[in-house]
Amino acid sequence: MKQLLAPLREHPVVGAVAIAVALYFVMASMGYASAFSIRSMLVLAALLAVASVGQTLVIIIGGIDLSIPFVIGFANVVAATLTGDGMPFWQVCLIVGTLAILIGAVSGSLSAWLKIHPLIVTLGIGTIVQGLVQLWTGGFPSGSAPAFVSQFVSIGGQIGPFGPIPVIPVPGLIPAVGLLMVAVTLLLAVTPLGRRLYALGGNPTAAPYALISPIAMWTIAFAISAFFAAVAGVLLLGFTGSAYGDVGQPYLFQTIAAVVVGGTSLMGGRGTYVGTVVGAIVLVQIRTILIGQGLDEALIQAAFGAIIIVLVSLYGREPHVRNTI
Amino acid sequence: MSPAASRFLHRFGGMGFSFVLLIVLLAVNVALNPARFAPHAWGTLIGLAAPLIAAALASTPPILGGNGGIDVSVGPAMGFVNAIVVAVLINGAGIDSPFILVPVAILVGAAIGLVNGFLAAVVRIQPIVATLGTYLVLLGLTLAIVPSPTGTVPEWLRALSGQYSILPILAILAIWWGIQRFPYFHQLMATGSDQRAAYTSGVNVTAIRILAYVLGGMFAGLAGLSLSGLIGSADANVGPNFTLIAISAAALGGVSLVGGKGSLIGAMIGAIDVFLLQSALTYFNVSTFVLQVAYGLVLVLAVSFAALQERFIATRGRPS
Repeated sequence: MKQLLAPLREHPVVGAVAIAVALYFVMASMGYASAFSIRSMLVLAALLAVASVGQTLVIIIGGIDLSIPFVIGFANVVAATLTGDGMPFWQVCLIVGTLAILIGAVSGSLSAWLKIHPLIVTLGIGTIVQGLVQLWTGGFPSGSAPAFVSQFVSIGGQIGPFGPIPVIPVPGLIPAVGLLMVAVTLLLAVTPLGRRLYALGGNPTAAPYALISPIAMWTIAFAISAFFAAVAGVLLLGFTGSAYGDVGQPYLFQTIAAVVVGGTSLMGGRGTYVGTVVGAIVLVQIRTILIGQGLDEALIQAAFGAIIIVLVSLYGREPHVRNTI
Repeated sequence: MSPAASRFLHRFGGMGFSFVLLIVLLAVNVALNPARFAPHAWGTLIGLAAPLIAAALASTPPILGGNGGIDVSVGPAMGFVNAIVVAVLINGAGIDSPFILVPVAILVGAAIGLVNGFLAAVVRIQPIVATLGTYLVLLGLTLAIVPSPTGTVPEWLRALSGQYSILPILAILAIWWGIQRFPYFHQLMATGSDQRAAYTSGVNVTAIRILAYVLGGMFAGLAGLSLSGLIGSADANVGPNFTLIAISAAALGGVSLVGGKGSLIGAMIGAIDVFLLQSALTYFNVSTFVLQVAYGLVLVLAVSFAALQERFIATRGRPS
């Protein structure tokens, strides 16, 4: 068993992919592999994957971001309200995106500069953001997303037809997340920024001697995290149709779970975004199977927690202290 | 700086800021609302604060153990104990003797802690993920036991939110006071500071960590009793809210989330700070949204000041 699992520990993404494939066959045998249910699972997984971009980067540098659900809610409500007020959508995106980047930059720089654990800082900043948004809307947000955003994320959506290319029966979100996966992977693998993130996460003491500024890296990573949380918030607005300040709450732990199931170490310095995307797919598959069992929400939650533990114990274990000396 | 003063700063500096904050907030609260803080109302007042204080104390031992040690399942564990004690034992089985229920609450908490400790130290899953897993399991089980708030509590349990409200906290502090007499305490702090150094000095790092989670679990059990007294029923949705606020309170009180640094007294002061802050903000009768913004702002500012002060001590107040 140990030898069987050894290669998984080297390449945890392989483990996550294997589990995703195995779950697919489980679902197929249970009759959940219809085109529609696969499409809906892909959409749900894609939304989670977008929200988890930043969590991946932040965890690679050894941090954690608990402000994601609050930023999702912020973007969701602000975008709906501004769109409802008749502002052009590109202006809405510009405002929401810029504010989100600022929120993330404040969290990241504050954590790195004062060496406060990001868990506390992001929680505090998130609480402030959520309070401000509710203050602004009086707790009752209104408005909705432009139709093309809803079309972009709709489970029944489709792409094309473009001239000779026939209709592709998935919404635009799916190929977009595919491109995002390539872009983030390239960012991490070949750009100086990516190498610096890994270097800082792998050895926070040595990285400054290689002229990597921890404060700059933390600011950038948390800003990216908040930006993609905001993107997820706007996409969720299209998905659910109306604004809801707490729409991001399930994403608090799910983004962390997706990253970890995808094989990224919370100790920092290791991990891939491809893994996170697969992790997101696995989480959505598990939920689908559990819901299909007719369990009620409480027991689904309990089973979900147990399964996360089992999955991570298969290939996400840390070394014993005797092997770190 | 005299050696004694610098030694004092080094030892207690981490919670110095939260202590100053405590004095200020206490003064503000007493000035705003003297009736609520009058001696005859202390029982009720402490009863309101006790679940949060106990939750912060429960969060501390795993954090002290270091290497990412954290227990995010403290809140749901309190909720689970609440459900077992109130819904299953008191209202289901008709048992209402404190001599059965108190040990049961502590044992249930200890068992949860044992599972967390096993997952974090033996299976070696990153603690935040392991305890997140138990968080979801406990929340799910609690919701399955009490889908909606239900049940009543006997007189003695209700008194835990009134005249005897200090007892669970005293019990936790007494247990911890006892622990500090044993080598275990120093081994825990050593493990939290530098697990490799501790391991090479012959400390059984794994066992030390498991015990830290078990202690945290026992304290969470007592916190669950305190919560049951306060809400007077079984409710699955109250407990989980305590997790993150308790960890923030501990951090505010100088418990370093990196491990090996901090104290239960610090965590308690941090929790009292949070409680007094909420209490003062509530007095102004502003909307809950303003309250939330102010609360977040003070939390961020407070941990920032605490960190700045820590930095000052690290550069100026090194013991000679």
